[in-house]
Amino acid sequence: MEARLDGVDRAETLQYLSYRGSFLDEALRGELDRCEELLLRTARPRLVWRLFKLLPDGSLEGTDYRPGGRDVHEMLRDCDEVVLLAATLGTEAESLIRRAAARNMGEAVILDATGSAAIERVCDNFCADLAASVAPRFLTDRFSPGYGDMPLTDQKPFFRVLDVSRRIGVSLSASGLMIPQKSVTALIGVADRPQPRRSRGCESCGMAEGCPYRKEGKSCGKQ
Amino acid sequence: MESNKIILLDGAMGTMLQAAGLPMGQVPELWNITHPETVSAIQRRYVEAGSRVLYTNTFGANRYKAAGCGRSVAELVAAGVRCARAAAEGRDVRVALDVGPIGQLLEPLGSLGFDEAYDIFREIVCAGEKAGADLVVFETMSDLGEMRAAVLAAKENSSLPVWATMTFEATGRSFLGVTVPAMALTLTGLGVDALGFNCSLGPKELLPLVRELREWTALPLILKPNAGLPDPATGEYRITPEEFAAELKEALPLGVGIFGGCCGTTPEFIRAAAEALAGASPAERPQTLRHGVCSATMTAELDGVRVIGERINPTGKKRFQQALREGDLDYIVARGVEQQDAGADILDVNVGLPGLDEPELMCRTVRALQAAVDLPLQIDSSDPAAIEAGLRACSGKAVVNSVNGKREVLERILPLCKKYGAAVIGLCMDDKGIPQSWEARVAIARRILEAALAHGIAKEDVYIDCLTLTVSAQQEQAVETLRAVRAVREELGLHTVLGVSNISFGLPARETITISFLTQAMHAGLDLPIVNPNQRSVMDAVAAFRVLSGQDRGSEAYIRRFAALPEEKKTEQTGHGDMSIGEAILRGLKQETAALTAKALGEMSELELVDRLLIPALDRVGERYERQEIFLPQLMNAANAACAGFELVKKSIAGRGGGSVSKGKIVLATVQGDIHDIGKNIVKVVLENYGYTVIDLGRDVPPQTVVEAAVREDVKLVGLSALMTTTVPSMAETIAALRRSGHDCKVMVGGAVLTEDYAAQIGADYYAKDAKQSADIAKRVLG
Repeated sequence: MEARLDGVDRAETLQYLSYRGSFLDEALRGELDRCEELLLRTARPRLVWRLFKLLPDGSLEGTDYRPGGRDVHEMLRDCDEVVLLAATLGTEAESLIRRAAARNMGEAVILDATGSAAIERVCDNFCADLAASVAPRFLTDRFSPGYGDMPLTDQKPFFRVLDVSRRIGVSLSASGLMIPQKSVTALIGVADRPQPRRSRGCESCGMAEGCPYRKEGKSCGKQ
Repeated sequence: MESNKIILLDGAMGTMLQAAGLPMGQVPELWNITHPETVSAIQRRYVEAGSRVLYTNTFGANRYKAAGCGRSVAELVAAGVRCARAAAEGRDVRVALDVGPIGQLLEPLGSLGFDEAYDIFREIVCAGEKAGADLVVFETMSDLGEMRAAVLAAKENSSLPVWATMTFEATGRSFLGVTVPAMALTLTGLGVDALGFNCSLGPKELLPLVRELREWTALPLILKPNAGLPDPATGEYRITPEEFAAELKEALPLGVGIFGGCCGTTPEFIRAAAEALAGASPAERPQTLRHGVCSATMTAELDGVRVIGERINPTGKKRFQQALREGDLDYIVARGVEQQDAGADILDVNVGLPGLDEPELMCRTVRALQAAVDLPLQIDSSDPAAIEAGLRACSGKAVVNSVNGKREVLERILPLCKKYGAAVIGLCMDDKGIPQSWEARVAIARRILEAALAHGIAKEDVYIDCLTLTVSAQQEQAVETLRAVRAVREELGLHTVLGVSNISFGLPARETITISFLTQAMHAGLDLPIVNPNQRSVMDAVAAFRVLSGQDRGSEAYIRRFAALPEEKKTEQTGHGDMSIGEAILRGLKQETAALTAKALGEMSELELVDRLLIPALDRVGERYERQEIFLPQLMNAANAACAGFELVKKSIAGRGGGSVSKGKIVLATVQGDIHDIGKNIVKVVLENYGYTVIDLGRDVPPQTVVEAAVREDVKLVGLSALMTTTVPSMAETIAALRRSGHDCKVMVGGAVLTEDYAAQIGADYYAKDAKQSADIAKRVLG
């Protein structure tokens, strides 16, 4: 399964831009199109993944890694296998966004939001491919370090187990943040029966705490 | 090392250790101390299979990766060398101190500084030399900046031979965008003893990269690939030892002489390689090499005219001088970005201004430029300390501008060029000034060439500037310069440089003279004109010359250049005459805003213009943003447009030597541990456009740095940003440190995870929910 980036969801880009239904004029739409085209042309998405047997104690077979927190194990309740995924848009996109900031912050802001939507697309595509390959079995949602009660410190073993840095060039800062920033690590469970979508409601969202929509008593609408 | 013999290295170590029982997650180097016999036993199997160079088990033995394992770097390294020595005993086998990447990204993508990286490598190399390693190998690097830190640390602190291998993708670039020519030019320049590829891919996939590499370096080549490509689901490698060996063998005709294996390879792979390569010798290498200068990601190959942009230079530019004095690197970087966009191939960097610390400024400028532009750099200074500071900071192969025929200048600067692998410009002048005849100038050029060769600098890295004199003052000299260019090119075979625009000084319609001279000079052999690339006609002349001289095959670049033109013209004409500055800003029209500001500057003072037109316009934009009638990109575009207006105001004030219109200074920082800085940058743009001077400390900023800047600059408002829950404590710490310092200032905080309550809890004075609010707060605090 290769990293596929075949476009981005415009609605998602707008959401990252905190767009709340104000009028989208011609000029801005053109700018969004241009940035999207530029980002898609520049990004070189990469991913690395591995399928592990999930042992009864919640750890992954052949490793010393047991995902932290209770939420993820709750999600994996029906699963006997789990896929670890790390995906990135690469330093090419990162540099594109950083460099845009040196010439035009408006463009940088749009590129940044487009990049966030793009890495989501890469993950969505991977999950679609994975779902097809495990059929007739079923997948859970994606769950990432930092979601729910899964600590960000899980990034370290996650990186080690998948050899993320060497395989796709993503680096982990001392404080556990990924560089390039448009990168995702996630666990996906494999089960024999259909799995509920858990990302319903804000509780399971890693962004919940600082979400601008929530601060205003709304939701992003992504269920 | 005999160049006509094959040298066989070893294979993978990590997976062998895991097979021998090393638990996942443990520092593998610890086994050098706890299980030395196991480590040696693996290495002995490699020796028996045919390895003649053993890599020590010290890949991650650096103070960052091995932190907390209970042993010092020196202990891990010494034990690692001992293990390899034991395995090599009684055989003609060399021990290579193996050093991998630190595991932290360097600036500008990461936050590890060059000096710290250097120190981490220095510690390992010193320990390795002391323990008796025969050479040092830096491997699996994907950042040329990190590799440079490593190589310099080895060269400056040991006498060990240095091998350097990097890891690439099939695209011909590393994860960090490093190209094969950039690696070759930079590392050859730094004086490594052999270079090549390790890890990355299988041998077959690396062959095209080897083919590219050999065109750029004459050094011995190393190939230490993986056992093919891994199965994504299991992570296991799939090709057999025999297939691996057969693929390796295909690198022989390319002249590779040093072979080994990386991930997935075992003693069986090395044995198969030994059998396949037995009795062979590496093929001859190309006689002539491609050459040029480079950044880590872009190469200016000297196979035709390459334009050197001259705009990063304070001479005669008051606004630029002001930026230097205020440490406003953004302004300088913008000049670099502009020239890259205009088509420059190399950027000249001159930051010399009396009263300023030029070496320090040069270092900071080079780093800031490298974060924003891809172009190779030309370090322009007469101060050797500034030249060295620039060369050290530059992560590719730079040009030094300049030396001349004076002996003491040559003796002082050429060793720096040699050490850092830079090319050098030699001016055709000496103690007696500029010779009037072309013959005398060529004689100086010859002397400079000889001195450079004597210092070990390659001939193709010596560029000669035959010097442009003003034709209105010394008319006969134009022809002498052109003759000198031709002779240096044809007789000495060197590349030539000319600062072109000087020719037309004092004449009307300067551009006509400049372009005519440029064209004649290029015809005479000038291939490195130093010009203002923002002058479209100058770049047009270069584009035309590239067509006429056959450099631009099929006129492709020329056609592309002019095909794009009508469209640009169209965007220039978007505005209409009766628009107000406010409207232009609101609609994000930069050129309109600039034009209207220029007009208004004739009618009112700078200060009036700022207070009566620019700021009220921004306020209106801000209000619309708050009412959600426009959103972030439009707010930013408006700010950008306003910026064009402010820039003219600043220029106008600098032009008459006046003070600044600054409404006060604000320190901004993304707190320690956090690398997300887009929010902070948005706030910065808005604040600057309200007329505040922003001291931007960047991201991942330690509390102490914030305190120091606030105290040093006597700043009354500090803005802190944090995007992650995990980095909010670091924000609290920074606020506490500010309070402890006793410095009287207000603190505003912002970032996705913060709320009004949270901000109050950690002791902030203000919570800014967005960029607009930060400007409101600034108004309240600073007026």
